[in-house]
Amino acid sequence: MSQAHALSATVGESMPTGIPSNKLGMWLFLASEVMFFTGLLTAYIVLRMSNPNWPGPEGHLSVPLGTINTFILLCSSMTMVMAHASVVRDDQKGLRAYLFWTVLFGTAFLCIKGYEYHLKFAHEIFPSTNIFWSCYFTLTGFHALHVLGGVIANAWLLICALRGKIRPENGYPVELAGLYWHFVDIVWLFVFPLIYLI
Amino acid sequence: MTTEAHLTPATYLKIWVALAVLLLAGVIISRFPMSKPVMAVTVLGLSTVKACLVGLYYMHLKVDRRWLTGIAVFPLVVILLAVLLVLSSTLVRL
Repeated sequence: MSQAHALSATVGESMPTGIPSNKLGMWLFLASEVMFFTGLLTAYIVLRMSNPNWPGPEGHLSVPLGTINTFILLCSSMTMVMAHASVVRDDQKGLRAYLFWTVLFGTAFLCIKGYEYHLKFAHEIFPSTNIFWSCYFTLTGFHALHVLGGVIANAWLLICALRGKIRPENGYPVELAGLYWHFVDIVWLFVFPLIYLI
Repeated sequence: MTTEAHLTPATYLKIWVALAVLLLAGVIISRFPMSKPVMAVTVLGLSTVKACLVGLYYMHLKVDRRWLTGIAVFPLVVILLAVLLVLSSTLVRL
């Protein structure tokens, strides 16, 4: 059994599948989330392909801001996986530092997204403006809610880490939160080009 | 052999660099004057590569049980079939 499996299997969960139940549960949850987001993305693609007069952002989307936000999420994924590696090695200092950076990057992403929303509202652009902006606010809004959930979970883990409560034998929540956080990152890797670039 | 024996912090850093380079490449390519379909396929192809890197290395699918990959891929296959169905009807109407 790998250390990663051992880490997830320390809370007495059964492993009839060879996979710790908590990890299997998280993957099944992520599978449902894949269906949710690909449904939204597919709706966007179909609407766009079937509408010859697609309105588009008309210069109201900032590619540099979107790129910076994507880079920030990529950085947060790296720090999150480093936090998991720190738990496995029982490197408490590393765990606290990497969780701190992950929370910080997640918060920065939300702040930039909030600033972008502010710019849209200042130009009187709302979800009801046209079909493009309906899709934009739906896709980015649901994604931002998922990021917010991840930030809250990671902040809670950071508090636990600061109290010295996360050890290799009970550090499975870091791995589970990491799986969720990387999933949120992957979703943005498709939302960003579809909305900002293409 | 442990997961960490396969995937070290050095590997995670290399993947992060690769992700950043691919992100930059996608943004630059999208600025090139080219037809929309070609650009869309190229940029979304790069996104798929980035997603695979995150899944394989950061989510440990590369070293985890094979059927965790199955759980991750199954909804994508279902969605792909649904998309093909919807797009085929959309294209017929156009």
